[in-house]
Amino acid sequence: MTKEKVILESLRIKEFGAIVGVAIFLVMFSLLSNRFLTAENLFNTLTMAAELGIISIGVAMLIISGEFDLSVGSVFAVAPMVFATMINANLNPYFSLLAALLVCVGIGVVNGTVTLKTGIPSFITTLGMMMFWRGILLAVTGGFPIILSRRVDMLQYLGGRVVGGLRYSAIWFLILAFVFWIVLEKTRFGNWVFATGGNPGAARALGISTDRVKLTNFIFSSVLAGFSGLTTFARFRLVDPTFGQELELEAIASAVMGGTLLTGGYGSVVGASIGAFMISMVRNGLVLAGAPAYWYRAFIGVILIVAAVINARIRKKVAG
Amino acid sequence: MALVVLLAVAAFSYTFYVVSHGGPADPFWGVVMKGVKDAAEKFGVEAVYLGPEKFSLKEFIDLVNAAIAKKPDGLVVTITNPVALDEPLRRAIEMGIPVVAINVPDDRPIDQKIPYLCYVGMDEYLAGVYAARRMLQEFTPKRAVIAIHEPGHAGLEARAKGITDVLKEKKIPVEKLDITTDPTKALTLLKSYLAKYPDTDAIFTLGPLGAHPAIQLVEEEKLVGKVKIGAIDLTTKITDAIKKGVVVFTIDQQQYLQGYLPIVFLYLYKEYGLIPHENVLTGPSIVDKSNVDIVEKTVQLGYR
Repeated sequence: MTKEKVILESLRIKEFGAIVGVAIFLVMFSLLSNRFLTAENLFNTLTMAAELGIISIGVAMLIISGEFDLSVGSVFAVAPMVFATMINANLNPYFSLLAALLVCVGIGVVNGTVTLKTGIPSFITTLGMMMFWRGILLAVTGGFPIILSRRVDMLQYLGGRVVGGLRYSAIWFLILAFVFWIVLEKTRFGNWVFATGGNPGAARALGISTDRVKLTNFIFSSVLAGFSGLTTFARFRLVDPTFGQELELEAIASAVMGGTLLTGGYGSVVGASIGAFMISMVRNGLVLAGAPAYWYRAFIGVILIVAAVINARIRKKVAG
Repeated sequence: MALVVLLAVAAFSYTFYVVSHGGPADPFWGVVMKGVKDAAEKFGVEAVYLGPEKFSLKEFIDLVNAAIAKKPDGLVVTITNPVALDEPLRRAIEMGIPVVAINVPDDRPIDQKIPYLCYVGMDEYLAGVYAARRMLQEFTPKRAVIAIHEPGHAGLEARAKGITDVLKEKKIPVEKLDITTDPTKALTLLKSYLAKYPDTDAIFTLGPLGAHPAIQLVEEEKLVGKVKIGAIDLTTKITDAIKKGVVVFTIDQQQYLQGYLPIVFLYLYKEYGLIPHENVLTGPSIVDKSNVDIVEKTVQLGYR
């Protein structure tokens, strides 16, 4: 293979931009802080990335199939709220966990059904759901946190410590990223997801039930968001009604940084996971580098745009 | 029948309206409402509490206007938005209704300020000042960090400035850290800050969203005694942490007084023309190991 071919081949990797981004920041922050490139900090970063990362996986799947989910931040809080309320009412932890996840399935079904049956954009449906659930959370809690009132051993495996700064939430993140990578890249369903988002008309002509594909992804997105909220709850043992605010936008940012196209049909679960890791790395890196606290948001804004531009360029080059 | 009505009217010498931006669903305002009710009973006046179910500026202003339309003997109101409240409150004052501000003052310069009688509430800047002083009383930190969960929030920034001003005077390095409202990020970022500046031995938090992850961090990393936390606001998790020695103190604004005192003041004003001058501060009041048990009990009884 000629050198040019190698470059072109690597550009074909959907996650190429995100991997290069992570590499650049890795070098940059290692130079700025000698505490950056340590196992402990890697664990911290991965743990911090996990909660956003788990959400991003579902959000990326959904975006690839051509829809949005803005309600994930609220669902992130709803699941632990249901769980905590049930536990505090002395119900069985496994039953409570199942119930909390079923509520998420329900929200996903409503998101999907309303969007697909009425034809209004999912951006609007899920924006409404985001507000609705946030309102319910505030009304039910009166603005105060719900604190877990008893010991639940199961929670150790959701958010407990594995070793050092590494938490089970990070392990779940890696497992889920792997599982959904297989689902998206190696299964028939994955092909349908790309087809549904890329060219819905052609997909339908091929006999793919695009509605069913989208509905499934709405459910994945909700359940993953709820599960992520549960891992956070497992660590802190309390849930604030403000839990998960703005995570919906960070999840979209992760997906975009990871090479997913907002117009659907193209993207990567692994890329979104790397995107989430990159966001977490930058946030943490800036603190370790001693940067002034208020610069982070501006920084991420620039990175997001730069990443999107680079990804667009790469695609153009690959497509010729 | 007519006699009963007359008696009922006679029983209440005055009718006061309390309008706040916080509704009855908010436990914070539940305590204020209890203060209003207790004072009204004690002084034999009628006090009507109005507040939107969920925060809504429009609904709040509507309620203020509705209260003014009733021509009460006194009006107690939060100056949540001085510009929006300017016209209705000036109108009320012109009508001869005495107005007392609570919880949020009109923070505009004196010549633009709504001329209410007095303000009953906490001073956010002073809350920060007292927090820093209480920490200095405990020990002299080598370095301190202020965990701010909502940068740009006027109240939180004022608290942070109070802390910074006191510590800077003592030449103690102090910095604000944007920890976000997300607990996982808050904890990791505080942890990274401690890694970057290992001499940090004091963490100030400006609300429960900062205090809860900071408590978790100190407990998880077994830093109790090495890194001391000073908090603002009251939750059961914070009072528990004070008992365990993880948190040194927290600051309470004693909002019960923000309900109780205005009723007393308005009663005394109507009766004898007496009124305190300018600001009556209900906080910062410090909660630490010495009084945490009493505070906890009064929380359960609804006084805090």
